This record gives sequence, C-alpha cells and structure tokens, in this order.
Amino acid sequence: MPGSTDRLKPALAFRGVTAGYKGRTVLREVDFEIAEGEFVSLIGPNGSGKSTMLKTATGLVKPLEGRVELFGREVSSLKPRERASLIGVVPQKLESPMAFTVAEIVMIGRSVRGRWGGPDAADHDSAERAMIYTNVLDLKDRLFNQLSAGEQQRTALAMALAQEPRIIMLDESIAHLDINHSQEVLRILMNINREEKITVLLVSHDLNLAAQIADRLMLIDKGRLVRNGSPGEVMEEELLRRVYDCDLRVRRDPFSGNPVVSGVLDAALRRPPVRKRLHVISGGGSGIELFRRLLIEGFDLSAGVLNRLDSDSEAARALDIPAVLEQPFSPVGGEALSQARRMVEAADGVVAGLVPFGPGNLVNLDLAELALKAGKPVWLAAGIASRDYTPGKAAAAKARELCDGGAVEWSNIHELMAQVEQTWPQPKTQQ
Amino acid sequence: MSLTKGGSTSKCGDGCRPAPFNGSPKNRRRALLLVAAVPLLFAVSAMLGPSGVGLPDTASVSGRAILDLRLGRFFMGMLVGAALSTSGTVFQAILRNPLAEPYVLGVSGGAGLGAALSILVGGAFIGAIGLPLTAFAFALLTLLVVYAIANQGGVPSVYSLILSGVIVSAICSSVIMFLVSTADIEGMHTVVWWMLGNLQPASWAEQFVSLAFILAAIVGLWLFAPALNVLTLGREMAHYQGLDAGFVTISSLLLSTLLAATAVSMGGMIGFVGLIVPHVMRSIFGPDHRWLIPASAIGGGAFLVLCDALARTLMAPVEIPVGVVTALAGGPFFLIVLRKKMKYAWID
Repeated sequence: MPGSTDRLKPALAFRGVTAGYKGRTVLREVDFEIAEGEFVSLIGPNGSGKSTMLKTATGLVKPLEGRVELFGREVSSLKPRERASLIGVVPQKLESPMAFTVAEIVMIGRSVRGRWGGPDAADHDSAERAMIYTNVLDLKDRLFNQLSAGEQQRTALAMALAQEPRIIMLDESIAHLDINHSQEVLRILMNINREEKITVLLVSHDLNLAAQIADRLMLIDKGRLVRNGSPGEVMEEELLRRVYDCDLRVRRDPFSGNPVVSGVLDAALRRPPVRKRLHVISGGGSGIELFRRLLIEGFDLSAGVLNRLDSDSEAARALDIPAVLEQPFSPVGGEALSQARRMVEAADGVVAGLVPFGPGNLVNLDLAELALKAGKPVWLAAGIASRDYTPGKAAAAKARELCDGGAVEWSNIHELMAQVEQTWPQPKTQQ
Repeated sequence: MSLTKGGSTSKCGDGCRPAPFNGSPKNRRRALLLVAAVPLLFAVSAMLGPSGVGLPDTASVSGRAILDLRLGRFFMGMLVGAALSTSGTVFQAILRNPLAEPYVLGVSGGAGLGAALSILVGGAFIGAIGLPLTAFAFALLTLLVVYAIANQGGVPSVYSLILSGVIVSAICSSVIMFLVSTADIEGMHTVVWWMLGNLQPASWAEQFVSLAFILAAIVGLWLFAPALNVLTLGREMAHYQGLDAGFVTISSLLLSTLLAATAVSMGGMIGFVGLIVPHVMRSIFGPDHRWLIPASAIGGGAFLVLCDALARTLMAPVEIPVGVVTALAGGPFFLIVLRKKMKYAWID
C-alpha cells in the first residue's frame, strides 16, 4: 500500500549490512539509501558482490549483521507477497523450461495477488498495461522460449511490471543484449522511472551504460561500497583502475558529456616496436584512426600542432601520444610551431591526415616540408584541394610543391600502411 | 498511458484480452474427452480378463468373483496410474527437468525397498496402513539422503539432485536384490512378482487407505498449482514473485513422495507412467498446473487401466506384468504424440 508516511522513507536502505553464504562473507558493512523515484546503478567488477547485494535487498539472502529496509520496513519482516508488491526483479535471464506463452509469463507477475482461480479484470488490465509498456503485446500468444533474447528480456520486465512494484531491480539484465535491444530496454526503464516514478536499481557491469543512464552510481568492490555518487564522482580514473585492477581511461563523451571509460587494450594488440617515430599532422578527428593503426603497427608517434579540445588532441591524450597543443580556435603560434619543429626533427617521417586546412593550421604543412628537406619520408592524404579553405588555395599549392619534392600521396589507410611498410619493412616476428 | 493507475488505457477492447494460461475453451473440451474416457475404460475393464472377453455371468458365484476382481483391477489401475503420473508431473515442475520422475530421484527405489522389507519381514502385523506407510517412510528417508548428498552448501542444483538420486536408487535396488536372493522361495516369488508391477487388488482396507492418501495428496498438489507454475521459473524467480518457495518446494516434494510411495506399495515398480504421461498431458493441456495436475491424474489412471486390460488379455490365460505393457505399448504411442507436439511439452 502506498502510505503517506512511508513516502518519506527511502525506497531501499542498507544499514551496516554484512551478508554472505555459508562460510563466505560477501558484503561487508554496506551502507546506502535509495530515495523513491531515483535511478541508481550498482557497478563493480565480477564477483564484487553485486548480485549478492540484490539478493540481500530482496530477502533471498539474510544479512548476518545490519538491516535491510524496503520503504522503511525490514525486508525479513515482510510477508512474501507484501515484499513482491514492493519490489520486482528482472533476472539476468528468465528461463522457462515449459511452454508458457508471453501472456502467461506476464500473468505470473500477477500471482503476487495470490488467487487460485483465473485472473480477474484488474489482473488482465495490469498485465496488458505492462505488455503495452514493454512493447510485447503483439507477442502475447507466442511461446516465451521461442522469442529472441531482447523479446524475452522485455517479457521478463513486463512480468516484473505486472507486479506493480514500487522499486524494480535488474540483475545485469541487459548485459547480453545487443546494442539495439539494450537501448530499447533502457528506454523502457527510463520511461517507467520518469513517468511512473518507479525506483530503478540497475545492476550492471557495463560502466558506460550505467553512467549514461543512472542518476547515481554505487561502486562496489570486494563486498564494500567504495564510492556512491554522481557518474562524474564515481567514474574516476584512479579509483576505477584500482577497483578493476587494469589500465583504463575515462574521457567525456563529446556528445553527451557523460564520462566514458575504455580499457587500454591497444598495447596488447601492438606489433613489436619498429623503433621509428612518425609525426602526425591532423585535426578535427582525422587523426584518430591514424593514431590507432600506426600504434598497432608498432610506431612511436607524435602529433601536432593541434588545438586543445579538438577530438584529435583528446585522442592523443588518451593514447599517450606527445602532442603540441595550441589554444582552441587560435591560429598556430610561434612557440607551438617551434615545439612541433623539434618533434619533427626527432621523428623519422611525417604523415598528414585528411585534415582541412585553413589559415590557422596551414603552417603545419611547413612541418612536412621541414621533414622532406631533412630527407625524411612524408605521406600526404590525397585531395588536399577539396579540404583547402585558405585564401588563394595556398594549402593545395603547398601540397603540390611537397609532392614534387618527394612526398607521397595516400588515398586510404590501407594504401598508407602499405607505403609505410615498404619504406620500413616490419621486423620479422620470431618463429 | 499509466501503468499503476487503473483506467481504460488498453489498445484493445473486451474482445481481445490476453489469453492467460492457454485457451481455456480448448482445454475444457479436451478435459471433457479425458473425463468421458474413464467410464468407457471402466466398461472395457469389466469386459476384459484372462477368463475371456465379455461381461462375466453375474448370476454365478464365479462370475461375480471375476467381475469383482476386474473392477478391483480398474480401481487399482486408476489409483496407481494417477499417483505415479501426478507425482511425475510435480517432480518435473519442481526440478525443472524433463527427466525427473519418482524413479530418478530414488524415491520409488526407497519405497520399493520399504515395501519389499515389509513384505518379507513385516508380513502380517503391519496391516492395511503398514505397507504404504513403510513405503512412504522409506521413500522419505531416501529423499532426505539424496538431498543430503546433493547439498554441498546452499541450495543443491538439479543436476546434483538427480545424480545422487540415481546413485541412491541403484543402492536401493541392489539391497532389494540382496533381500530377494536370500529370501525363501515364496517370499522371493512375491517380491519379484510385485516388483515387476502388477495391479492385483490388495485388501479393501489397504485400497481404502491408499485411496485416501492418493486423493488427499493430489488435491493438495492441485492447490499448489499456481505456485508450481511460478516455481517452473526457478526458485529465485519464485521468491521474487512473492512465493514462499521453500515451503512450496518442500510441501509438494513431500506430497508427491507420498503419492509415489503409495503407488509403489500398491502396484510395485511400474515404470514409464510417471515419466511419459506428464509430458503427453503437458503437450495436450499446456504447462498450467491447474489443468495439468488433474489431467495427469486422470490420464495416468486411464493409461494404466488400459495397459492392465491389455496385460490381462493379450496372452490369456497368462498374465503379462503390467509394467511390461506400459513400456511396450505406451512407448511407441507416446512417441508419436510427442513427436508431433514436442514444442508444447518441454523446451530447453
């Protein structure tokens, strides 16, 4: 029953909870509150205790110490049916070995009401609303087992919604869905959270997804709640590195501003170093793929001159590529240029990407010229004329000049790689 | 559109309600057919027997005795068949495994051991309730042992339950073998004949007690039907759905153990019924246990009565053990049914 007094109570509260299984303590002194209407995501490495926390919240695992409260009432004191009308759970994967239809599965959510006989009008209405909400009404007569994973997950969500709970918990329920279906389920979740004010606790090991959707993140590590706060507060590089025990980076997504974490797998993918340094001239995102491929091929890189906040400069920072930076939207100044010159002098060659040239960054082509004069190979992306926004097409003219001086044009990245390979053959890997 | 508040928000009118738990009208027709088959079988059963086809002459004493015997067989068949099949249905639901049945979990083996012991040792003094009760006690003990073996901390997995069930079952049968081999000729004959499965009517008192046990257990399980539906989604899901999963699991395990034990004490080790009839009924009536449990009960009973009638007549005057007929005649028939409708019976 939605009472007026328990509206003020947190939907879910852990108070000094220590919990676990026979001879194995999983959660240690966990303390948190989730207010009604919040969208919270519980994150943490595999085996950190996320699922146990969810089981403890539903009373499936009894706390050894401390209290778990649902809307102010201790979970273990609730009758099973009361509990189920407060809290609904969408499992990782709902499995029905028997041939129930979608409608039947959703109607099982109404068994909270505990009648033996057939469902009544209210049950039908509730089940139908849940199916409309989750977009499975068209599937209602299909056998649950024959649905796709996404459809099954929406059905499981519909079943939980048919319970008409005030808080819904999802146990990595979208982890195995492809991006299309996981987005759909997330959209449904955001709708029920915003429109129906249903509290959502999403257990997830997908940090980016959690940060993208949740109001608040709770990071759990080895059974302890180590950080509880906004995505920005929790997605802290040092903290995540420690908790996940691996090298990773946190950036801000340029579109949404959400923190985005990515593992640093590239190091493992790289070829043995060729001990050649290439200087990359790029900008506006044209360098990202170049950086990636050249790093994989085993080159040392430098970059510049780039503008700060340019996506190439972000990428260079993420990939630990030394880069010369200039203020945003400013023409390349003398100091930056001389820094870049020093980089080119230290490099064994220069690659220019598909960067548009304007008066501000035209001087970058001087860097290529510098390399060429020092007898170093230079690769230019073909078709500079179409990217030339300088008055009097100065960049195209410069490019022609460079090509006459020995610079090589490349039109796609494979071609470039082949040309580079020709110049500096890969050291043969030891058999 | 609102989810939690009422109101006519549905896209479709009253005509297109989501069909919960299968198209009921269809099931009702099928159930009617099944129920109608029972009196028919009753008649068939009265007319078939090793002494000849046709109603026995009720004017003569021997005729009345034969009719009595035949009706007793009908009664026994219905009871034992219903008990085995319902028990199998429930075991399959609780263990979420299509191979589950009283035999697989060792329950029948334990009941058999108990029954064999009471036939060989107990003999006279245990009376009408004695045999089913001893069988039940042993079946229960077996179940506990199986559970204890499977339970390695936490809730035992279905696989470890079945594995330990098979092991305990094997132990039980070897103990029975040992008992048989050391028994005197008469005892050996009784036990072996009983083990092969036969529906020779027991004493009326014993039949009455068994009837009470079986009816009570089936009705009890029927009351658990909605809970069993939820339980097929797994114990954890059942918990989330507001079910006291432990209570339902234990109570229905106990009731179906009682069913299996009573059936074994009455009719011996009759295989096949507890495994296959539930699947066939599921393929016909769908997985909703509110339909499935009564359907399995009636279907199992009818199937066993039919097999028994065949067992009595096929090689008359020699009687084939009914357990042989259930597998020989039932196997191919059910295979055909299941092949056609497998997808409605069980999906994994």
